[in-house]
Amino acid sequence: MKTASAEIFRKYTTDEVFDRIKPCSSVSDMWRKVSAEYADTVAINDGGETHTFAELESDAALFRGLLPDGGRIGIIAPNSYGFVKAFIAAVTAGKTCLIMPAGLPAEAVYGLSMQLGLAAVVHTDETADRMSVLSKAAPNVKIISAADSGKEPVPASDVPGDVPAVIMFTGGTTGKSKGAVLSNRAFMRGTVNGCYGIKDVFGQKYLLVLPFSHVFGLIRNLMTSLYTGSTLFICRSNKDMFRDIAVFRPTIMVMVPALAEMALTLSKKFGRNMLGQDLRTIICGAAAVPPYLIREYASMGITLLPGYGLTESANLVSGNPESLKKPDSVGIMYPGMEYRIEDGELWLKGENMMDGYIGDDNSAAYTDGWFRTGDLVRIDDDGFLYITGRIKEIIVLPNGENISPAEVEASFSALNCVQDCELYEDKTENGSSVLVLEVLPRMTELGKLPEEERAGRLRAMIEEVNASLPAYKRYNRLCIRDTDFPRTPAMKILRHGKKQ
Amino acid sequence: MERQEIKAKLKEILSLTDADSGLLEGELDEGLRLREDCGFSSVGMLYTVIGIEEMFGIRFDSVGLGSFVTVGDVVDFIGEKTK
Repeated sequence: MKTASAEIFRKYTTDEVFDRIKPCSSVSDMWRKVSAEYADTVAINDGGETHTFAELESDAALFRGLLPDGGRIGIIAPNSYGFVKAFIAAVTAGKTCLIMPAGLPAEAVYGLSMQLGLAAVVHTDETADRMSVLSKAAPNVKIISAADSGKEPVPASDVPGDVPAVIMFTGGTTGKSKGAVLSNRAFMRGTVNGCYGIKDVFGQKYLLVLPFSHVFGLIRNLMTSLYTGSTLFICRSNKDMFRDIAVFRPTIMVMVPALAEMALTLSKKFGRNMLGQDLRTIICGAAAVPPYLIREYASMGITLLPGYGLTESANLVSGNPESLKKPDSVGIMYPGMEYRIEDGELWLKGENMMDGYIGDDNSAAYTDGWFRTGDLVRIDDDGFLYITGRIKEIIVLPNGENISPAEVEASFSALNCVQDCELYEDKTENGSSVLVLEVLPRMTELGKLPEEERAGRLRAMIEEVNASLPAYKRYNRLCIRDTDFPRTPAMKILRHGKKQ
Repeated sequence: MERQEIKAKLKEILSLTDADSGLLEGELDEGLRLREDCGFSSVGMLYTVIGIEEMFGIRFDSVGLGSFVTVGDVVDFIGEKTK
């Protein structure tokens, strides 16, 4: 077993910045400090409407007066100032917030409220219609508009670190969605860990495109932005992202690889950096990051930092501050992360880990108190982590050989002309097993070749990689896709045989 | 802007997306349906909207690409906006 320490990150910034990164015991503990220290700084810019840290606290103080007794509050709202105000108010009053995806239907809002015994549900104008079932069927659950205020301000409470701060739903791409319970301590460890490995992390300008109902949006985007006295611009619609960027000029963005790829493609097409001249850092995760993106952004003066994390680990497990040197790695473990590797699988413990799934016996997720991630990994001599596959996706060939699709796919994704690929097992008509590789070409690269040569050259490059692999890992059938892969809402490939 | 010119520029944008590349050979077919024929994903739709806005200097405002059925509908919209 190993425990990661913060010191390893010291060299990636100045001593002054590094020493400002300090742990907090609860969201209240953090919020009292930052709302005083950065009182006059703009905390949230919601589509042009700005709110300083002091204004956010005075709005949150009035909102606390509306909260009923009882521990759990649901929030269903699109990314907005209203969400931030309600969330900060509730968590710093010692409540546990169940973050519902903004698109959840009215029946599900009612169902979750009953199942988890919510005392209140907060909505905004955009989600008011989702209160229809709850308001009729459950008169005891208080329905609160995020725009409302109480009569008297109520200060933040002292909240012990073991009080649950949030219940977040896991993606559910490999099974049923579950609610992970994150304590104040875990939530803040995740928030503070988001500061490591970046040269300039305080006083930044973030532009938010990820939903608050995802830990990457809530913790790494909102919370780390607040913790560092930065300003968060809320982009209300991804369609307007580049217009918002031109106006707000962010210095840092948190993105999934598909969005980073899109921004790069459009920048090349239109011959200008669509992410704006002030952008220095992209935090990229939630799916495998192609090394091509790291190199291309580096040539534009932008550092793209890949990382790895889970909802269950309060977002972050590891981050890669040396992405140009080790572009295939998801980085080094963040402070407080305890880990071990059993039969190739990563097992985790530590301050940032969830208390468990709510309403689940949890026995399948843990062994001897260790959370089993289901991810297959290796660690190099410098302590850098590499994801080599998912246990559930392992292909077992008839001869007993095990193949991790992610590991094989990484060999092909290293080609500039390959945007994405998927390896899976198929059966022929006579029932024998074949490995199929489906490839989505990266047209910005392939398009540089004369049209008549593209197909042949692409195949030749892919076949060359195939021939370099151990025989049992080679595909038998290659399929070049004309259209994108079917994808999950988080833009991950919806893998063969998996239903959305 | 001439219809032919709009179509040529639109084709450039569509070639960046996940639209079925086989459909983009030769002159752009105005009868192609965006979802059914081109097979656009949500990312493809986003690319197209942003690409069109940038390329033609126009704004979709509250009109989403979802309100267009065929490539011809998009060409009509761009034609109107660039008049």
